Amino acid sequence: MDYYLSQAINGICQGSIYALMAIGYSVVVGVVGLVTFTHGEVIMLGAFAAFYTFQLVGNNLIIGVIASFLASAFIGVFVFKICYERFFNAPRHISLICTIGTSMLLRNLAQIIFGPNNKPLLEVVPNRFFGKGVVGLTLVQIIVIATVISLSFLLFLFFNRTRWGIMLRAVSQDKTAAAMMGINVRMTSLLGNSIGCGLGGVAGMLLAIYYQTLVATMGGSAGMKAFSSAVLGGLTNIPSAAAGGLCLGIVENLGITISSASFRDIFAFIFLLLVLIVKPEGFARKTGVRP
Amino acid sequence: MACILEAQGVCKYFGGLKAVEKVDMKIEEGSIFGIIGPNGAGKTTFFNICSGMYRPTAGKILFQGKDITGLPPESIARLGIARTFQNIQLFRYMTVLENVKIGFHIRTRSGFWNALAHDRRYRQEECFIEDEARAVIEKVGLSSYADTLASNLPYGLQRKVEIARALALKPRMLLLDEPVAGMNPLETRELSEFIIRLNAEGYTIVVIEHDMKFVMNTCHHILVLNFGQKICEGNPAEVRRNKAVNEAYFGKGLVVGGVA
Amino acid sequence: MTLPPRLAVLLQKKAIRISLAILGIALLAAIPQLNLKSYYMGVLCRILLYTILAGSLNVINGYSGQFNIGHAGFFGIGAYTSAILSLQLKMPFLLALPVSGLLAMCVGLIVALPTLRLKGIYLAIVTLGASEIIRLIALNWMSLTGGPNGLRGIPAPVLFGLKFSRSQQYYYIFLVLSLIFYFMTRRIIQSRIGRAWISIREDETAARSLGVETMRFKAMNFMYGAFWAGIAGGAFSPYFKFISSDMFSLDEGFNILSMVIIGGQGTLAGPIVGAVIVNFLTEFLRPISQYRLVVYAILIIVMMWLRPQGLVGVSKSVLAERKFGRGRRTHRR
Repeated sequence: MDYYLSQAINGICQGSIYALMAIGYSVVVGVVGLVTFTHGEVIMLGAFAAFYTFQLVGNNLIIGVIASFLASAFIGVFVFKICYERFFNAPRHISLICTIGTSMLLRNLAQIIFGPNNKPLLEVVPNRFFGKGVVGLTLVQIIVIATVISLSFLLFLFFNRTRWGIMLRAVSQDKTAAAMMGINVRMTSLLGNSIGCGLGGVAGMLLAIYYQTLVATMGGSAGMKAFSSAVLGGLTNIPSAAAGGLCLGIVENLGITISSASFRDIFAFIFLLLVLIVKPEGFARKTGVRP
Repeated sequence: MACILEAQGVCKYFGGLKAVEKVDMKIEEGSIFGIIGPNGAGKTTFFNICSGMYRPTAGKILFQGKDITGLPPESIARLGIARTFQNIQLFRYMTVLENVKIGFHIRTRSGFWNALAHDRRYRQEECFIEDEARAVIEKVGLSSYADTLASNLPYGLQRKVEIARALALKPRMLLLDEPVAGMNPLETRELSEFIIRLNAEGYTIVVIEHDMKFVMNTCHHILVLNFGQKICEGNPAEVRRNKAVNEAYFGKGLVVGGVA
Repeated sequence: MTLPPRLAVLLQKKAIRISLAILGIALLAAIPQLNLKSYYMGVLCRILLYTILAGSLNVINGYSGQFNIGHAGFFGIGAYTSAILSLQLKMPFLLALPVSGLLAMCVGLIVALPTLRLKGIYLAIVTLGASEIIRLIALNWMSLTGGPNGLRGIPAPVLFGLKFSRSQQYYYIFLVLSLIFYFMTRRIIQSRIGRAWISIREDETAARSLGVETMRFKAMNFMYGAFWAGIAGGAFSPYFKFISSDMFSLDEGFNILSMVIIGGQGTLAGPIVGAVIVNFLTEFLRPISQYRLVVYAILIIVMMWLRPQGLVGVSKSVLAERKFGRGRRTHRR
């Protein structure tokens, strides 16, 4: 029983990272209005940004968060220019294939620049455990959950209490109407994309800290998990995406208790299939642009 | 005359929006039926329900006595209802002939192995499709455009291609969504005469339109919708006189010179 | 692409076309007799193999407008099936091959089924996931697939008393298979089924309102593409004599996708051109092989920017549109 409980805790912790990835993904798809394949690579680059930052300035988490956020946001601009900007009024499959190409590009360049092997990222957070026996939280888990909660809260404030946030929400609901209200749709989409990618970057850092390793090819599985979690929210609804991430984390961790750790990704896929079969539009009400 | 299409208490709600509210309708076989109403009255939504694009929130649709509520568009086409679209959904990059050929899909049956072997059924059906498609194109008067790309045609002719494609299904009933939109008076009158000729051949035709002259001259029976509800049903003379209809179009105030 | 008028008229005549085809096939069949180095024969074999892989992906992506990016998974299923059947059951090649195709086809149906009603992006992700799951299963199922060690010593096929162990001989197997694929696909595309597929690609709503059973045809299309990928895989493992799960990774899926995107979608020539170009590039870029996929990625992006249907892809299609089509659009969907 204790074992399952501790796995459930692991699930919540990993689920919160997936939730952050899914939130970032939903922000991008919601504001830009185009579905993307590049989120996995954006997550991966955030992880590497944090890795090199830690090597430069030591294991300072705050700086790590800022560095990964900014690095991924910057890559987001690059992706925007290549895959989205030209294609707002083009058939959807064109931007989609462009993002597939861009994700191939980023992944292979990363393999060339950073090398194809796993890089260890040990003990960024000291190994402390709070609890009794097997049940409890490690310091890493506490920090991960705390980071995700604070970022989500900041995002909530941003979207609901700031002028930029309202503009982002307007653009995600109806680009034409937003343009007619004087909103610069292009800049706003760019901003939304960068924020979403930045959140993905922080998620990448958290993945690297949690698993104590990172590798240039981690984007494939990360992107897929971000997507699978976001599907629960119809790809654009943020709270449902977060819920999806948590569910996915729990399902995955309980799943590997009955099989083995190498089948982790299979459970993500089964989760996705189940959502698609049972409720493909997700649990969101129809807000925002549907991809 | 038998009733070919019947709507019983059809409702369609999109969240809080009541697009269609408790509409009853009976269309007699062999008639030309018009559905009119101001913009946003729910006419196209109603069409979409009849042709299977939408599932009604409540109510039933009966075609030739058979309940077709909630059937997908493919099945409804097979049962004998063909439609055209308000926005003209032709296969833009296919020629007129290729467009019409797709209309013969449900009238043919050659499958994978027939195609592979080029057997007799395959060859016969390909000839059949080619000849009959050209015949349909000839019937709507577009023979000279048979190999033109659909999107290169002027608007009015594109609408005719859509009708030709619908005719290829050999349907019992045609649903035409704003067939004369964007046409000049001469084209409108030609299409009106064409629809009357088709009707004489036995097709039941249901038309959504805004052009009053066209509707009054062509339809035997008219249904008027406003805000998703039926406000009047009757022959053209009755509809023209009806107070609720006039209010819907012209408002409740006085109109100089009386009603149009 | 428009041809000069005299040439076009000549090509209309059926007799001319058949003669050219026979000539072309004869030339292709004669190549191994030139006694080229086995390295070059290997490249040619690979090109022929990829005409089937890219061609089958093109049937799915280019003709019915669906979105499959996990084609490597079906390739892998075909490869492992024929390898396991010939190693463990000593099944002859001519029997193992169709079984590989059929198994891949069934898996294709299972993969496509959940998303037939949904928008393209969902099918894309599901195919991606399926491809990875297949690879993971192959990697972990030690007893069946040899796990990370893969399967070795796959026996060369023995047909009509001849052993096809060298690429000079195996070339004929690939040639026959790709010719069968080409002519079979051509017939299907030109038929009622092909027309239904194209109508689904061009405007699914209109197709449905004309009675085309879109779900059935999309499923049929996907199964056809998966079947041939399975056949390609089934022919590949006795050729290469060794297979392992990392040959069927996502990168391989993108490799095949690149051929379709660069060469062209929606035409029969497109994937052939793509297979030739990409495989030539592979050889050309051998000195800097890690940059191979970078180059393909850039080519994909450039192609999407300039010519979305690909080099010799179908221009008379929504696949070639760079802006939302002409005609009234009342609102974006």
